[in-house]
Amino acid sequence: MADVAMPRLSDSMEEGTILKWLKADGDEVKRGEELVEIETDKANMTYEADADGTLEIVAQEGDTLEIGVTIAKLGSGGEAPAESGAEPEDAEPAADAEEQPDPGGAGEAEPRPAPEPATGAAPAGAGGSEANGRVKASPVAKRMARELGLDLTALAGSGPGGRIVKADVEAAVQDGGDAGETGVAEAPPAAEPAPEPETAPAKADVPPAPVAAPAGSGGGGAKGEVTQQELTKLQQVVARRMAESKATAPEFVLNAEIDMTAAKELRVQLKEMALSSDRPAPSFNDMVVRACALALRDFPRANGAYRDGRFELYSRINVGIAVAGQDALVVPTIPDADAKTLGEIARDSRALAERVRSGAITPPELSGGTFTVSNLGMYGIRSFVAVINPPQAAILAVGELADRAVVQDGEVVVRPMMAVTLSCDHRILYGADAAQFLGRIRELLEQPLAMAL
Amino acid sequence: MATTATTTMRYREALNAALREELRRDEKVMLMGEDIGVFNGAFKVTNGLLEEFGEKRVRDTPISENTIVGMGVGAAMTGLRPVVELMTINFSLLATDQIINHAAAIHYMFGGQVKVPLVVRMPQGAGHQLGPTHSHSWEALFLHVPGLLVAVPTTAADAKGLLKAAIRDDNPVVFIEHEYLYGQKGEVPDDEDHVVDFGQAAIRREGDDVTIVGISRQALTAAKAAKVLSEEHEVEAEVIDPRTLRPLDLDTILDSVRKTNRCVIVEEGWPHGGVGANLAALIQEQAFDDLDAPVGRVTGADLPMPYSKPLEQIAYPHEPQVVEAVLATFRDL
Repeated sequence: MADVAMPRLSDSMEEGTILKWLKADGDEVKRGEELVEIETDKANMTYEADADGTLEIVAQEGDTLEIGVTIAKLGSGGEAPAESGAEPEDAEPAADAEEQPDPGGAGEAEPRPAPEPATGAAPAGAGGSEANGRVKASPVAKRMARELGLDLTALAGSGPGGRIVKADVEAAVQDGGDAGETGVAEAPPAAEPAPEPETAPAKADVPPAPVAAPAGSGGGGAKGEVTQQELTKLQQVVARRMAESKATAPEFVLNAEIDMTAAKELRVQLKEMALSSDRPAPSFNDMVVRACALALRDFPRANGAYRDGRFELYSRINVGIAVAGQDALVVPTIPDADAKTLGEIARDSRALAERVRSGAITPPELSGGTFTVSNLGMYGIRSFVAVINPPQAAILAVGELADRAVVQDGEVVVRPMMAVTLSCDHRILYGADAAQFLGRIRELLEQPLAMAL
Repeated sequence: MATTATTTMRYREALNAALREELRRDEKVMLMGEDIGVFNGAFKVTNGLLEEFGEKRVRDTPISENTIVGMGVGAAMTGLRPVVELMTINFSLLATDQIINHAAAIHYMFGGQVKVPLVVRMPQGAGHQLGPTHSHSWEALFLHVPGLLVAVPTTAADAKGLLKAAIRDDNPVVFIEHEYLYGQKGEVPDDEDHVVDFGQAAIRREGDDVTIVGISRQALTAAKAAKVLSEEHEVEAEVIDPRTLRPLDLDTILDSVRKTNRCVIVEEGWPHGGVGANLAALIQEQAFDDLDAPVGRVTGADLPMPYSKPLEQIAYPHEPQVVEAVLATFRDL
């Protein structure tokens, strides 16, 4: 009888929610078969059996449990899992183990390494994390992080061997929180608006049973009945990181209007060509992503982060796209967007948006972003200011593309215009640089053939 | 506390003053040891005492440590307050039967019917090329034993105040002096009732960045290292001298560690089962969530004390090792 423990499926995961058992109690399960769907702080993931056996479900769908807590058992008939570091054989008799889960107790033994969620995609800066997912931090740093609600996995350790020490936590608090890159950004929804699918698997996690306000606290007060809803993990992360961003990044905002005449013509041609192939035609947002990626090459600080009193400049240009989904917001990333053609970006962004909607997106696809694009144009929003996705240096908010009257050579003419707004963290990206960076984006979009170079 | 006049004197003179004052104060106090009378003591701590107090109270003995301490145990049980001198801590091993099996246990074994107000004085420490049979630092051996009090004075003032407290205490005390310290000078209160209570650590230097606990002579080494750390590395160390290991003023150490989040313990004895090993365990048990780095230790080398001068010098801690150990709690070296 081998215990199946709540696995660690992301660096920052502390607990997970059982969304759905993919096998029934009593089923014979083979090693490698998908067992259960688990919601982490970042995404929903399936977890596979790492041994053969008869499934005995311990944790019910909807349960939220700490890492390491037993969620099921795989009964005899199958071999014991090879790397079951969980409990020594001379541990308690199995009968007693029924009474678990036991958060914090023996059940907390090293969780079986999950199908390692390619943390390699995480930024190199997160030096405190070790390969096994354990965060190397001093006891006092851990205690402070716990008290402050900080995510240690997002910090770089300055202590011996990369240990996160008290000074790192203090610096993070000063600089504005953990500055992690959990890929969750601010509110504006996606490039491709889509109704939330009915079948979103995340439904299971939302049922925060409405809690009636306590009697006497004014159930029928000025605001009427109060319904309190618990946040999902994603919503918690969004709330925390957005507050951190606003509280810590001294931001300034630049506006520009982009004449999309040439881009519009190009898109018509691309659309016709796409009809004859199976490829999706690039959207205007794909063009914006491509333009940003190319411009980022010329402005390294825009592709960086202010962290622990230093500039971090990244060699890869990974553009995140804010996408609404599952009653929250995630930012899937197009890695190396500067090295991708418009067609590749179009294909990637559609695939990512689809995976967000279906709930199949995985943490690696949500991490590593170095810049973010947020588009509310499809909602008829003319322009807006987006909240910086910390610790990134800037975020571009894209408004509606619409015909406007503009003055050209002394004449009032009609042009397809698009308003863009760049929010910048002044600790790393200064006014003149940011203005040139935004100018470069405009240049590329107004002469879109330049993006083919 | 009244402002007291002080006199500059050497550590050995401070010990001498303590013995003289206690001999004068209480006729039950008497001294025994090898060469303490006519020769005035191997390290001259008992200088002039035979002359002043006579053979009855200052007794030269044969070279027979277990017997001398045994006489002391018996004398203490019958109401005297003997102070026995052993020439070095190495020789105390010959008397461990009397110290550990008897002095430490008698009060307990006889249900508190008798007390053993005995002081066993002994110097320890390396640096004089006296080889493995004369140069060790063994406070950890006696710290291990329940029933014994253990003092490790560093300054002249503490040497005097702690010895007077030891003589006045009803428990057996192992009083560990240091050969290097005998010649060191310090300000010592003239007050004949200058008593340093056991179980009260001294903060030799205040600092916010790291706590250095120095045992015996190493409290001085720690203070010198703290100066280097401040001047060259911008690290402000708090230096604590526990002064007595039993009872141990753990609260002062923990308070400091909770402030600095780092601790390095410096001792001259061996690493395994040492004072630092014990203290590190206590600190992590009681202040784990306040630590920013593992508790560091700087100890004597894990070998019999070499005779060769260069080897001997690197076999016990000096400032550079302490500085390095402190910096290692901050970053990769």
